[in-house]
Amino acid sequence: MANEMEYITKINAEIHEMLQIVDALGERVQNALDSKRRGMKDAAYEASVDIQHREEEVTALCVGSLIKYQPFAGDLRAITVALKVSYDLSRICRYLYNITEVLEEFEVGACEVNDVSALLKDARSMVSMSLTAYFDKNRSLASEIIERDHSIDERYRMVLSAQRRAPFGSGDCILLNGLTARIIERMADHACYISSETAYLVTGRRTSYR
Amino acid sequence: MDNCTYEKLDISGLDAWFGDKQALKGVSLRIKPKTVTAVIGPSGCGKSTFIRCINRMHELTPGNRVSGVVLLDGVDIYKSVDSMDVRRKVGMVFQKPNPFPNMSVSDNVVAGLKLIGAASKKELEAVAEENLKAVGLWKEVENDLKKSGASLSGGQQQRLCIARALAMRPEIILMDEPTSALDPASTAKIEDLVKTLKAETTVIIITHNVQQAARISDMTAFFYLGELIEYGETRTIFESPKSPLTERYITGRFG
Repeated sequence: MANEMEYITKINAEIHEMLQIVDALGERVQNALDSKRRGMKDAAYEASVDIQHREEEVTALCVGSLIKYQPFAGDLRAITVALKVSYDLSRICRYLYNITEVLEEFEVGACEVNDVSALLKDARSMVSMSLTAYFDKNRSLASEIIERDHSIDERYRMVLSAQRRAPFGSGDCILLNGLTARIIERMADHACYISSETAYLVTGRRTSYR
Repeated sequence: MDNCTYEKLDISGLDAWFGDKQALKGVSLRIKPKTVTAVIGPSGCGKSTFIRCINRMHELTPGNRVSGVVLLDGVDIYKSVDSMDVRRKVGMVFQKPNPFPNMSVSDNVVAGLKLIGAASKKELEAVAEENLKAVGLWKEVENDLKKSGASLSGGQQQRLCIARALAMRPEIILMDEPTSALDPASTAKIEDLVKTLKAETTVIIITHNVQQAARISDMTAFFYLGELIEYGETRTIFESPKSPLTERYITGRFG
């Protein structure tokens, strides 16, 4: 069904643009976190709103395609997976915005942020790789990303443990690290959801990750 | 669909020929009672031959042959059962509605029963009403029961033919593209009817409309070049078929 293939191409082009926005925002948030710099919140919010609109656009394209072509098998999976991937990207963008909110909220100038910074770098890499796996329909890469989630979870718990041992009076730093680590851990989860959907797209079999 | 373990039909190694040409090659599948099974596949793949082997119609044409085993409730229909008895238990509805034009609406419904002399006039009237109601036609024709069956619209004629098949109280109803000649509204009525029929009977329906197969069936069988390529739950077949051939057919890449 040639027309339907065109629809899927159009949907994926939209998702690719969403990824570019998320990538660019991720880099800016990473720099802001590394340098403990404020002033990113408004720009991140705008990006988040933009992504939400694009997610709605993907939904409209998917629904239109379902109505028009009533697809089955691989074509049907491509559309249902695109719906979920666009939602996951929208959540990831929202989490990046949440990090800028945390940076804005607390006095973080004296905080040690190496661990959460490294965590964010890894989570961003997982997001980027999960989309590569999705576009390339690469099941083994998708599986690798899901495997990496254990390491993110472990390091998240280590950040929390370290904050428990933090000296009295460092409340802002404890909150910065604890909240940011939690947000990043959720970002990585969404990268895994995308990877799980990619595995379903390729194989037709669901392995519940969500 | 319940988890019934009993098979209404158990078909194994079914081969069929038109003279020297083999139309079915080693088809094996099991069909549970009170389910709707859709048979799909491109033209000439053996769908119609397959269902005509289930009620022994294939052998009616001289030169046609069948081999293999077709068990209906555990009894081999090609060995232990009279062919007329098989056709009474296994009704058939064809692509083109075929009411008897010289019979009234009500006589069309009970034509089979009359033929075997099974009931009184009063009983026949009751059977006609019951089955016209079963196919949702009663309110449309109750004042025209004496009119010719051919005077009805195409969709009504097809429901009349289903009522005629139902009047024989079949255990299985075979349908060969029953909606291909009907408009969308009539098609919707037949589809609704198929879904209600499975409360009492087992339905096997051939369709070229894969969306229709997805809408109305519990199980789907995909045939290609006389072979059963894939058979399974409809949801699975239409979401994640195992065979690339099935995938290509249901996504419209060929056929």
